[in-house]
Amino acid sequence: MATHALSPAVPAYRGGIYEWLTTTDHKKIGIMYVINSFVFFLIGGIFALLVRTELAQPGIQIFTNEHVYNESFSIHATVMIFLFIIPMLAGLGTYIVPLQIGAPDMAFPRINALSFWMLPLGGILLLAGFLTPGGAAAAGWTSYPPLTERGPLASPGPGQDLWIVALILIGTSSILGGINFLVTIFKMRAPGMTLFRMPIMVWTVLVTSVLVVMATPVITSALVMLFIDRNYGGSFFNFQTGGIPVLYQNVFWFYSHPAVYVMVLPAMGVISEVLPVFSRKPLFGYKAFIFATAGIGALGFSVWAHHMFTTGAVFLPFFALMTFMIAVPTGVKMFNWIFTMFRGQLTFSTPLIFAIGFLTMFLIGGINGAFSAAVPVDFALHDTYWVVAHLHYVLFGGSAFGVFAGIYYWFPKMTGRMLDETLGKVHFVLMFVGFNLTFFPMHMLGLAGMPRRIADYAGDAGWNDWNLVATIGGFIIGVSMLPFIWNVLVSLRGGKIAGDDPWEGNTLEWATSSPPPPYNFDRLPDIRSERPLFDQRHGLLSGGHGGGDHDDPAHDDAPKAIPAGGAAS
Amino acid sequence: MTAEAHAMTATAHAEPHAAAAGHSRGISNPILGMILFITSEVMFFSGLFAAYFATRAANQPWPPAAFKHILDPLGPIMLATILLITSSFTCQFAVWSIRKGDRKGYIRNISITFVLGIIFLIMQVYDYSLLFGEGMTLGSGPFGTTYFTLTGFHGAHVFGGVLMLGVVLYRGMAGQFSAKHHDAVEAVSLYWHFVDVVWILLFSILYLIP
Amino acid sequence: MSSSPRKRPASSAIVAGGAVILLIAIVAIVFLSGAGRALYPPAPATAQAVRTSELYDIVFAIAVAVFLAVEGLIVWSILRYRRRPEDTELPPQTHGNNFVEVLWTLIPTAIVLVLFGLSWNTLNVVDATTNDPDVRIHVIAGQFQWQFEYLDAKGNHVATQTKPIGDGGGMAVPVGKKVQVTLTSGDVIHAWYVPRFLFKRDVIPGQTNKFEFTVNADEAGQVFHGQCAELCGTGHRVMLFSVTAMTQADYDAWLQNLVAIENATPPPAPSGAPVLKEEAKNISYVNGNLQAPANAPFVIEFTNSDPSGVTHDIDVKDASGAVVENQDTIPGGTKKDYTYQPLAAGTYTFFCSIHSNMTGTLTVQ
Repeated sequence: MATHALSPAVPAYRGGIYEWLTTTDHKKIGIMYVINSFVFFLIGGIFALLVRTELAQPGIQIFTNEHVYNESFSIHATVMIFLFIIPMLAGLGTYIVPLQIGAPDMAFPRINALSFWMLPLGGILLLAGFLTPGGAAAAGWTSYPPLTERGPLASPGPGQDLWIVALILIGTSSILGGINFLVTIFKMRAPGMTLFRMPIMVWTVLVTSVLVVMATPVITSALVMLFIDRNYGGSFFNFQTGGIPVLYQNVFWFYSHPAVYVMVLPAMGVISEVLPVFSRKPLFGYKAFIFATAGIGALGFSVWAHHMFTTGAVFLPFFALMTFMIAVPTGVKMFNWIFTMFRGQLTFSTPLIFAIGFLTMFLIGGINGAFSAAVPVDFALHDTYWVVAHLHYVLFGGSAFGVFAGIYYWFPKMTGRMLDETLGKVHFVLMFVGFNLTFFPMHMLGLAGMPRRIADYAGDAGWNDWNLVATIGGFIIGVSMLPFIWNVLVSLRGGKIAGDDPWEGNTLEWATSSPPPPYNFDRLPDIRSERPLFDQRHGLLSGGHGGGDHDDPAHDDAPKAIPAGGAAS
Repeated sequence: MTAEAHAMTATAHAEPHAAAAGHSRGISNPILGMILFITSEVMFFSGLFAAYFATRAANQPWPPAAFKHILDPLGPIMLATILLITSSFTCQFAVWSIRKGDRKGYIRNISITFVLGIIFLIMQVYDYSLLFGEGMTLGSGPFGTTYFTLTGFHGAHVFGGVLMLGVVLYRGMAGQFSAKHHDAVEAVSLYWHFVDVVWILLFSILYLIP
Repeated sequence: MSSSPRKRPASSAIVAGGAVILLIAIVAIVFLSGAGRALYPPAPATAQAVRTSELYDIVFAIAVAVFLAVEGLIVWSILRYRRRPEDTELPPQTHGNNFVEVLWTLIPTAIVLVLFGLSWNTLNVVDATTNDPDVRIHVIAGQFQWQFEYLDAKGNHVATQTKPIGDGGGMAVPVGKKVQVTLTSGDVIHAWYVPRFLFKRDVIPGQTNKFEFTVNADEAGQVFHGQCAELCGTGHRVMLFSVTAMTQADYDAWLQNLVAIENATPPPAPSGAPVLKEEAKNISYVNGNLQAPANAPFVIEFTNSDPSGVTHDIDVKDASGAVVENQDTIPGGTKKDYTYQPLAAGTYTFFCSIHSNMTGTLTVQ
């Protein structure tokens, strides 16, 4: 194996549909995760645009049946959270984690396939609600009882039951995936890959998986209880027979707040891979970053009731303090990222641009979160469009930008082809502008008193202009997907050949061909730090079979030794 | 080079890595996987237990007078409890047997565990039929709801455990386990102990806490 | 090897510095021009809201400072440290710096602890309840209507405002007086929200929530918009109410009037008028089809069998959609005889003014 470029000249995944349907290869499953999640992203997006169209101006525009409006925003949120963000990040993890730790596959390949296939099934069950009498679930993605109890005044139809079953299915998929990740990361690392040499992406997936394994079963229990209430006359949340409606909220948020970190930590992992590579510097404060990630995971279990400040049924000071405290490790990460770029050499490829989009937007999502942590201010802002703005700055400005950074970054590895840079930048500009037009005005709407989940508002409430701006922005986001989809379709056939390591990456996935062979690696470089490929490229490995690969003309200008300065930690 | 050639040359290279990665130190993948799965199950039952305590605190007196008599800890439920605890011991004896390579002892002990599990399930079904006969169901207010949900989900886990025991019993009789290769037995035994511990907790909070 | 950073062209520093200054300037212009007003809550109308508003101002000032500092750093970093063609050597491989890392852990910790202290302090004012309020109001929320039951000092019933907002409904309170509100719901979760009070509180069935507010004295005569803020079903958006601030004298008169309305004996139904029957249950009319004689008054004996928080009535509109009869709503579990004026022959629609999906057909012949 004397060749330094492992990638075949014309990369292609062979094998027909049958092979894809039956595969247990983590790379194919990962790609299917990504495609499936993207399809649901588009479906969720269509619901979002319907909602925005309705709200563009006062009066009922398209939803003459307001129940369908409630179904639309409920399904929008459920799809985006459970069928786009969580599985999209799980999919990127499924693809990249075994590669980054030098493993041939996940620990349980067949369970991996099972985890994936539960997702489209869950999605179909969820959407099947629209075909039932009474329509799909319409009580918001939170589905608080008593509104979700069976009854003429609540949710009589089977749509709500389908929602419950779909979420239990998707949750089980998450739990199995989380267990799979943990065993893979603990047991399948290549020789030399100690815990503190793992890429940050792997660390974030590790912490995320702990959250999933510990928190997701709790929402399963909430959903089971709701199902028993609805179908077997149970009394868990039914106040008329001695149940406690707020109990559901506690159990629900015990999962759903950690779920926020499930939705954002792997995106942070992506950013932490992209920023060092395109800055030509190591991540600033690697260990501090890991401790901050673990800290967020731990604190994440003690802040759930900040979603319930206005219920009058939670101990406010404790949850307020914890909520404020979680800003600290998040802030640490923000500074780590910025100081990774600081005094670096930045190459503005599309992955870096999306990563910077993440930094600038997630910062706003973090800052406006502090408003809601201040309990009296939350009394004013809770359940208004302010909260809608906040959560979208975190989950879209954060997670979705991170997801696209990851897709642009790893597409060459997945397919062997580069995505087009110009189209990528068009995509970014449209998405960035559309995103801010859509969601920034929601701060103003929320402050002005517009509650969430309403189909219409009075024309004299002063909410008209910002709503129109938000709707225009929403459609710009929609349009921004067109250059992306076009880019993927065109690049798959005619994109520039990527080669093994188009970005001068640091981590092991760039040490194999693009796309990698089914078993991932022919051989691995020595692993002496969290950047084995960097060490190899710059001859920092003493002897060994990994060093000295400097016949690549692209690398000829690289120095043979690392400047020693600044290595303070 | 072509992708085919690539694939052929690489298989030989990949093996050592796969082996190195797959057989690193510590517990095996299936056992770690089972421990994590049990962790998630613990959290699932934590959710149900939390709901039980919240519901109980909000509904006094507990249990309601109409159902007070069913919570006699010294009734048949004590027998069922003893049987299940015993089965945990026999299950562990089976593990110790197979660790020593004693296949006969393994099969004997796992069979006893299997049968005890089935007897527990039969007793639970009988208990349910008595309660249904008295008109207590999931719909009988907070007490009925929590009682049947907790014991029902525990019963479902016992049922799952019995199925797993059946599988490792069958595989044991087919001679698939040895002193070196019996990860499935270890994993199933962990699960069975977990089911047992949940029952002890359940028995304590349902029947013993006044 | 030397670690001294290679000299970078001054132009990039100017561009980066300029961009940071531009960022700061834009934010400054937004606030100096008054456009930043949209990022503040509306003018607080209660003593509690004033405190919340003050807290908001502090949080907001810190937020803007953090925003500018961090976004400024990001902008500086990406514009200053662009890779240039001559950048062949690696930049200094800085792995970290304990001093700055401790710094950026401690400073944010201090900031959030201060914020927590301030918000706790404010919370103790905003969330405080007492045993001797001047006015007690029991708010009953139901799909999709608010009722306001006025109580005396001992918690006994004085009078209940049941009218919907478009019909002269809503709650009234005296300014400068401590008003205590208790919230109950008989169906699903609602939330009592008045934007200008900077306050909301969930109305949860099976649980009684309590809070207090004191409307500022200079707000007398103001009508504050209020709205349900927790999704409660299809009519969530129409679950509106208002809070009218009055002087004590006006308020006393208003309450007297409410008592008078409640105690007034309804005018007897015209003798000999036919009596139709209709019942509301599960937010729909049980009968749904009524026949009445043309050009003669008639009576509908109306029973509302829904939970007490859910109010209904039977209004009538003609084929063109014009409302020809407008009755008062009644709460769940009550009965009322509605008297209707003579109608010309034809087909009419009767409907509930609270629940838009509750309709029936009235045939007049």
